[in-house]
Amino acid sequence: MLKESYPFVEDSFSRFPSQSNIYGLCQAGEQELLAATLKGKVVSFRYQELQHKIRPVAKEVQFTYIPVDAEIVSIDAFIKSPPKRGLVVGITFIKDSGDKATPFLNIYCDYEPGSEFNLESIAQSCLNLELQFTPFQLYHTEVQCEDGSIETVFLLSGHDQRIHLYKENASLHQFEEQPVERLFPELQELPSNVLWLDVLSIPGGRRLSAFGCQNGFVGLALVNQTGPEVLQSWRVQFDSPISIVLLFPLSCQTEPNEPGGEKRVGMEGYNLLVTSTIEMAVVYRDVQDRGLSDSTCLSESDQWDAVLCALVIDLDFDGQKEVLLGTYGQELLCYKFGATGSRRDGDFQLLWRRSFKSPLLSIIYLDLTGDGLRELAVLTLKGLHILQHSLTYTADLVLERLAQKVSALTAGSEQDSTKDTEEKDAPIKKEESTDVTPSN
Amino acid sequence: MRSLNYVQRVSLDFSGTLFPHAICLGDADNDSLNELVVGDTSGKLLIYKNDDSKPWITRTCVGMLTCVAVGDVCNKGKNLVVAVGAEGWFHLFDLTAATASKADSSSQHEFLSSEDQRPFFTQHIPANTKVILISDIDGDGRCELVVGYTDRVVRAFRWEEPSDGSDVGSGQLVLLKKWLLEGQVDSLSVNPGPEGLPELMVSQPGCGYAILLCSWTQQDSSGSGDDAPATPGSEGPSRDVVLHLTTGRIHNKNVSTHLIGSISKGSKEESSKCGLFALCTLDGTLKLMDSSEQLLWSVQVDHQLFALQKLDVTGDGREEVVACAWDGQTYIIDHNRTVVRFQFDENVNAFCAGQYTCKEGKNSPCLVYVSFNHKIYIYWKVELERMESTNMLRVLEEKPEFRSNLKLLGVDAEDPAAVRSLVANLLYKDSQ
Repeated sequence: MLKESYPFVEDSFSRFPSQSNIYGLCQAGEQELLAATLKGKVVSFRYQELQHKIRPVAKEVQFTYIPVDAEIVSIDAFIKSPPKRGLVVGITFIKDSGDKATPFLNIYCDYEPGSEFNLESIAQSCLNLELQFTPFQLYHTEVQCEDGSIETVFLLSGHDQRIHLYKENASLHQFEEQPVERLFPELQELPSNVLWLDVLSIPGGRRLSAFGCQNGFVGLALVNQTGPEVLQSWRVQFDSPISIVLLFPLSCQTEPNEPGGEKRVGMEGYNLLVTSTIEMAVVYRDVQDRGLSDSTCLSESDQWDAVLCALVIDLDFDGQKEVLLGTYGQELLCYKFGATGSRRDGDFQLLWRRSFKSPLLSIIYLDLTGDGLRELAVLTLKGLHILQHSLTYTADLVLERLAQKVSALTAGSEQDSTKDTEEKDAPIKKEESTDVTPSN
Repeated sequence: MRSLNYVQRVSLDFSGTLFPHAICLGDADNDSLNELVVGDTSGKLLIYKNDDSKPWITRTCVGMLTCVAVGDVCNKGKNLVVAVGAEGWFHLFDLTAATASKADSSSQHEFLSSEDQRPFFTQHIPANTKVILISDIDGDGRCELVVGYTDRVVRAFRWEEPSDGSDVGSGQLVLLKKWLLEGQVDSLSVNPGPEGLPELMVSQPGCGYAILLCSWTQQDSSGSGDDAPATPGSEGPSRDVVLHLTTGRIHNKNVSTHLIGSISKGSKEESSKCGLFALCTLDGTLKLMDSSEQLLWSVQVDHQLFALQKLDVTGDGREEVVACAWDGQTYIIDHNRTVVRFQFDENVNAFCAGQYTCKEGKNSPCLVYVSFNHKIYIYWKVELERMESTNMLRVLEEKPEFRSNLKLLGVDAEDPAAVRSLVANLLYKDSQ
């Protein structure tokens, strides 16, 4: 019965020459993935369209300045915040030439107009930074700078119990390390090495920052972006290293007759998922209001060895997000939030689980095939799996919703045929709000 | 080349060793659900049912079992299990009653008398058997038994009972014909010929095949006028072998070759009389041809293919060709030459594919691998929605109401970006 609701069909599997790790997969651009393997190879994965057919293509990208004896630790990529353009790829690796292991961070970015998004040419323009610490997770986030502009920066955690910030120097056309305290005051004086970091911008010019440490410490802070100023911070201690911290909004159902749209967003609560290597995964609910006081365990999440990756996405298209956990015990677990009673409190219940042939390291949900429907990319120790939603079922769902939308549109235009511009948006909202109710 | 990973599998205990043809899937107990039949080199016949890792039934035969099959070899309207040993002992088991007796007894450790365990019929046929086939090879609607030998001989037998004999087991196998071939016979198959009549095909080394003529039917029909009357004696056998060598890149004309015929084409309208058959060689050539010798496709791979099967993995009625290599690499190829690969992670002792009832109480397409580590692995969820990667826009484009609804919404169906964002909007609440 659990298996029935598993919505995916495997579309492809690419075997990698050597293993990867939990920092080894990132999205690069709209429809492309980059996976780094231990032995210094970076594989790009995308779907290629050829003669009206699409086919999966995994090929190695030759990033320059990665020596043959390098072992890649982490990879990350982002698209620069507007008005700047271009794709930036960061790769950390350790060059072990025998006597002494030296860590590096390479940042790849092309400033040549026209090739800012061309991975081949980006891979050739490198900024090579030697590090004084062993790197861990390479993360990026948008941040509001002193002058009010929005910029995307790299955050790199290291074994020196610090997080390092790399920001583009616009005048020099290159990235440089800057003191982290100035932009991220919540990320200083850390108690241990940070294994995972997550930052989420929330309305009102604020952000939530969460980090999980090797010694089991989890820190959470609510920060006002202007300033920046730490408004409030919370901490909790676990018994084992923290593998993932993940901030996510979870919409709570509103009253059926309550008008949808803007008000529903206001009802959204922010939650923090914390997975550790021995203990059960925990979700802290409504963290912006209640901090780390209201926790819910994800039952059975400790049954399949350590949880190494997590994702919160809407898998069944009902507008409510599900929690996906990938474990070293080769299982992918899906939890759904089921409200018990009318209030916000409820439980996460295991909806389904699926076995893989090797430990799961990282998962990403993105539209690789360019059809609006997203695919689940699962990085395992042996390679990259692409899981696609069952197309027959999803196509029926799209047709059904499309028909609803059309009927709502025609009904709307009968009532008010004069306002051409507004009627396009109004029925969409109406349809969305009615959608939420039957699913619960 | 699309590659994927099957995960859902059951492992069965199997401690013996076996010959590559001593494994098959079939309805051994006539309950319309398929079982797995395995014969090992010590003469044990094991029948596995559902996802039970222990054999459902074990029987003991004489000699090393080289081939097993399930079929209505006696033409009595029910399937029997056939097990043939290298020494030439032919065993026949009727397992229909076994279901009833199993169901009756509630105890796990049920005692079967030695009478029940014995085959209901044994006969000694010429030794050095290698491969068998139960099928109608002469178009008379009745099944024959064809046996391939390691000494390049193929013999056809028919089950005959005395007309008055009502006693079970009073019948016996009667030799119909013996063919002598030039090369080793690795597989036997039946394929509809250009006239729609079944043709017995055997594989020949170097990606070749031979059609063996059933001369007993010719003798019946060509009683009156025949320009070349078949001379009995030594010339006979070779005359009834029509050897075909396929063209193409063949490095080694002695390379071991496998063949499978009667590959289902699915829908009725496009099925001509010609049957489809596939060939594979140990050096990695795969071919799909029809009985008029037309080549549909040819694929070259760099794995040593040693087993060839057919299986409908997409559920559209068309059977795909499934080839397995010693190292576990498995290719599933459809009629349009679309390839799906699957790597089984161990070396493979024997392989078969077909319908089997594993988990859900009904037959489903399965891949069966016999490893070298005392395990048989059955992958029971190998169905695919489609062979090719595709995206949802292509699925939606096939639906007429999609296009008409797009028009009503004022979205240009030819603009992929607009359609894509519409689809994303319909599915995801948080999309921009």
